[in-house]
Amino acid sequence: MHAFLDQLVNGLALGGIYALIALGYTMVYGIVELINFAHGDVYTLGSFFALAILTALGVSGEVHGVALGIDIAVAVVGAALLCGIVGVLIERLAYRRLRNAPRLAPLITAIGVSFVLENAMQLWRGPAPVSFPSLLPNPSFVFGPLTLTLKQILVVGLAIALMAALQSFVKTTALGKAMRATAQDRDAAQLMGIDIDLTIAITFLIGSALAGAAGFVSGVYYQSTWFFGGFGAGLKAFTAAVLGGIGNIAGAMVGGFVIGIVEAFSTWLIGGQWANVAVFAILIIVLVFKPAGLFGRAVVEKV
Amino acid sequence: MKNARALGLLAAIAILLLWPAFGASDATVNILADAGLYVVLALGLNVVVGFAGLLDLGYAAFFAIGAYTYAMLASPQFGLHLPFWLLLFVAAGLAGLCGLLLGAPTLRLHGDYLAIVTLGFGEIVPQVFQNLTKWTGGPNGIGGLDFPTFFGHSFGQRALPYYYVTLLVIAITILAVSNLRASRLGRAWAAIREDELAARHMGIDTTRAKLAAFAIGASFSGVAGVVFAAKLSLVSPDLFQFQVSVLIVSMLVLGGMGNVYGVVAGSLLLSLVNSVVLPQANGIANALHIHVDFGQYHFFLYGAILIGIMLFRPEGLFPDRRRKAELHHAAVADP
Amino acid sequence: MQLHSVLRAAAIACAVLATAGCGGGTAPSGTTVKIGVDLPLSGADASVGQSTLNGVILAVEQANAKGLPGGLKLEVYQLDDAVQGVHNPGQGVANVRTFVSDPNVLAMVGPYNSNVAKAEIPITNEAGLAQIGPSVVADGLTIGPDATQLRRTNPTANTFFRVCTINSRQGSAAAAFAKQFGWNTAYMVDDNETYGLDLTSVFSTDYQKLGGKILGSDHLAPNAQDFKALLLKIAAAKPAVLYYGGVTSTGGGLLRKQMFDTGIGAMPFMGGDGIPDLNTVAGKDADGAYYTIAAPNAEKLPSAQAFVKAYVARFHAPVGAYSANAYVATQVAIDAIAAAATANKGAIPDRASVVKGVAATDLQSAIGRVRFDAAGDIRNPVISLYGFKNGQPSFIKQISI
Repeated sequence: MHAFLDQLVNGLALGGIYALIALGYTMVYGIVELINFAHGDVYTLGSFFALAILTALGVSGEVHGVALGIDIAVAVVGAALLCGIVGVLIERLAYRRLRNAPRLAPLITAIGVSFVLENAMQLWRGPAPVSFPSLLPNPSFVFGPLTLTLKQILVVGLAIALMAALQSFVKTTALGKAMRATAQDRDAAQLMGIDIDLTIAITFLIGSALAGAAGFVSGVYYQSTWFFGGFGAGLKAFTAAVLGGIGNIAGAMVGGFVIGIVEAFSTWLIGGQWANVAVFAILIIVLVFKPAGLFGRAVVEKV
Repeated sequence: MKNARALGLLAAIAILLLWPAFGASDATVNILADAGLYVVLALGLNVVVGFAGLLDLGYAAFFAIGAYTYAMLASPQFGLHLPFWLLLFVAAGLAGLCGLLLGAPTLRLHGDYLAIVTLGFGEIVPQVFQNLTKWTGGPNGIGGLDFPTFFGHSFGQRALPYYYVTLLVIAITILAVSNLRASRLGRAWAAIREDELAARHMGIDTTRAKLAAFAIGASFSGVAGVVFAAKLSLVSPDLFQFQVSVLIVSMLVLGGMGNVYGVVAGSLLLSLVNSVVLPQANGIANALHIHVDFGQYHFFLYGAILIGIMLFRPEGLFPDRRRKAELHHAAVADP
Repeated sequence: MQLHSVLRAAAIACAVLATAGCGGGTAPSGTTVKIGVDLPLSGADASVGQSTLNGVILAVEQANAKGLPGGLKLEVYQLDDAVQGVHNPGQGVANVRTFVSDPNVLAMVGPYNSNVAKAEIPITNEAGLAQIGPSVVADGLTIGPDATQLRRTNPTANTFFRVCTINSRQGSAAAAFAKQFGWNTAYMVDDNETYGLDLTSVFSTDYQKLGGKILGSDHLAPNAQDFKALLLKIAAAKPAVLYYGGVTSTGGGLLRKQMFDTGIGAMPFMGGDGIPDLNTVAGKDADGAYYTIAAPNAEKLPSAQAFVKAYVARFHAPVGAYSANAYVATQVAIDAIAAAATANKGAIPDRASVVKGVAATDLQSAIGRVRFDAAGDIRNPVISLYGFKNGQPSFIKQISI
């Protein structure tokens, strides 16, 4: 029972990080129908930016009190902002021209951008994993057979909170409405006076900022970051988004948690080398029986 | 004029067949043999992506299946030593079957969902090969594969015989693929690609057509896998990762999807860039007295090339006429 | 007609490459001797590849400064076997074919990865080109039926040698050390790569022979960063030591770090020569980790100290994990070339005599005494055990296997 609960919590925390990345993925896809392969690398970039900010602030281990709050705020905002800008730049330079091109073209471009980002990070901090300051103390809380650490609670809590914030943003604000309209019918939205270019740019801004924040969280949680980490994490996050129903924000979060749990449990029960196989097998099975994902609505094609 | 064209064609074929006799080094023949295999792979993927419009991001999986088929049936691994020529057909069939297996559950998926599922498949297959150590040699792979023989003469390790086999496979592939394109199946694929719903309502069995695309595309990859394994005399899982699938897709997009000869050109170009230009970039730079260490920038250059091509000529170098029309039609239809 | 133009283009390409590729007979000429180097110089292995290459460069520069018989000059001919960031056996083979086709290449150093070596050995075997591996440790390259199969073209003439010690010796030494420390139960983890799997396999056999008990074993998922699920599993099994087969970058560093997150930081962590740089990822968490390395105590060996000093002065960077091995491997090649040149009255020697020279090596080097047995492996290697103190490696003891 103990092991089961441990692995469950572990899987939720792991899934929380996937959920954070998946939020950005699903947002962007919902609006531009582009699998932004570079998104995973923006996530990694977020952790690199956060590391640079923390290093500049002189942080190297745990911090306490007011300083902790300031450090976190600066690092998160800084990483999110910088990543948001990177996201907007990528959209502007690499994807905008290809909005009406055949599907494969922006996909290939996204892969190209991914390679460029990975190489840039490799040159920045080297090819080996890099240490990230622990920042927070990590006490454990024991509730009978259940043990939770502070960081695990924070990761999961943050994923839920950001999902809720994003959901409410998209549903209630004017900008959110513009985004939904663009996602539904780009031409009609344009005809209604919505500035498509701006809407898409802001979508990328928010999505990439979320990825940046996820990078910071991941850095603190694992106390390490690696230039190539975004590739695998991004892939699984996109799997999570698809699993939840692409374009569906709550679905992306649930999908993330599911993937995390699948990964933890398959490592526990059949061995780490089968974890990826299990994740993709689950994906294939779900899509076979529910092609639109767990929460996706089957799109009725109008003839 | 037709005579002049035919003559030119013959001359080109003659050069392709005879140039190794003029003192070409084993290393050079090897480079072209490797490039040739990528041509076959690209042509096969072209059937799936270019003709039928199905987004497949895990094509390397079938390549792996073909290669491991040879490795397990023609090596000391299980003590089986089936002949190379037979295994070409066996692998084609096996890979084709796997293509069907992948295609069947994914028929209802559209566009990018299909892409992710095929990507997942592409990740699963080499991982499975890596994990089933008892049968597949695990991460070490299987080495010391049998040399193919031709009427009693063993191919040995020189690249030359493999180069000719590759040319043969390319020729057959081009013939097969061109015929497919002009056939009813090919036209069905074109219809599906442009508007699947309309195609179905016109009476085309879209299910069969899509399955056929997956199976046929996969079988070419299986054949290429056999030649690849025999030539390298080794298979190991890290030869069939996502990067390979991406590379082949990029070749298609660069050359011009749908257009058979464009695909050949695109794959030759990218293959040579990857295996000659980039590794020797430092040497070239030194020769031009540019003192930059290119070794660190491979990925960067490759990514930049991909982005550049997509931005400035997304339809590819030799666009298919129909595709170009689709592209421009889409642009025009935008109010 | 596009078929026509594409065929034409391909034919022209062939013709151009043919003229580029031909020329030169099969005998070396002139006074430049090239030493081929095949390493992963880009992508994930780049930093190790580069630091390994630096070892070669240092050896060549020192030899050129000292001068060779006949006024011969050495040149480093390096080629990258990484394609799209991953070491690629096919590219390695292409590189080796390039070396073989160049008559002035008399020896090669490399590759870095065992599966690339598996593809390359048949080629160098057929061509009779001396190949010295600095870091390829898979047993099957020199021992057993696999090794014989690799040399089937030329079964009597071995051209492959390596200055690193093979996995079975390291695994044995690790098992012996573990038992000496009184750790009677172990849990094994490997990174599912060639090196890691070999290491844990040998460790398992020898450890159990010495009376130890293996509580379980697991493989890491590739490219993973989260090992907590696995570590929770291990914590429940309560072994006395966690034995890790693999290198720092495929998970060793993060694994060690996350042991503290899952409450088993006090458990000793032991590995092979794949984790000497554990502290670069794990920092202070590396304390309590141990690793074996196939070299005598570097601090007590003057040639090792001299090497480190020269390396740092030349490259302004710390020595890499295999720089010393590459340095020594190159020295072996250079000595063989020099001896063969002297025997050839100062003229550039041929490959066969270089191979013979390498096989007859007896060199006191920065990694100890180098002599090869009939299979190409180092004879009587010394294995040292290092631990981490305050995040820095520190020597503990050594064994002769």
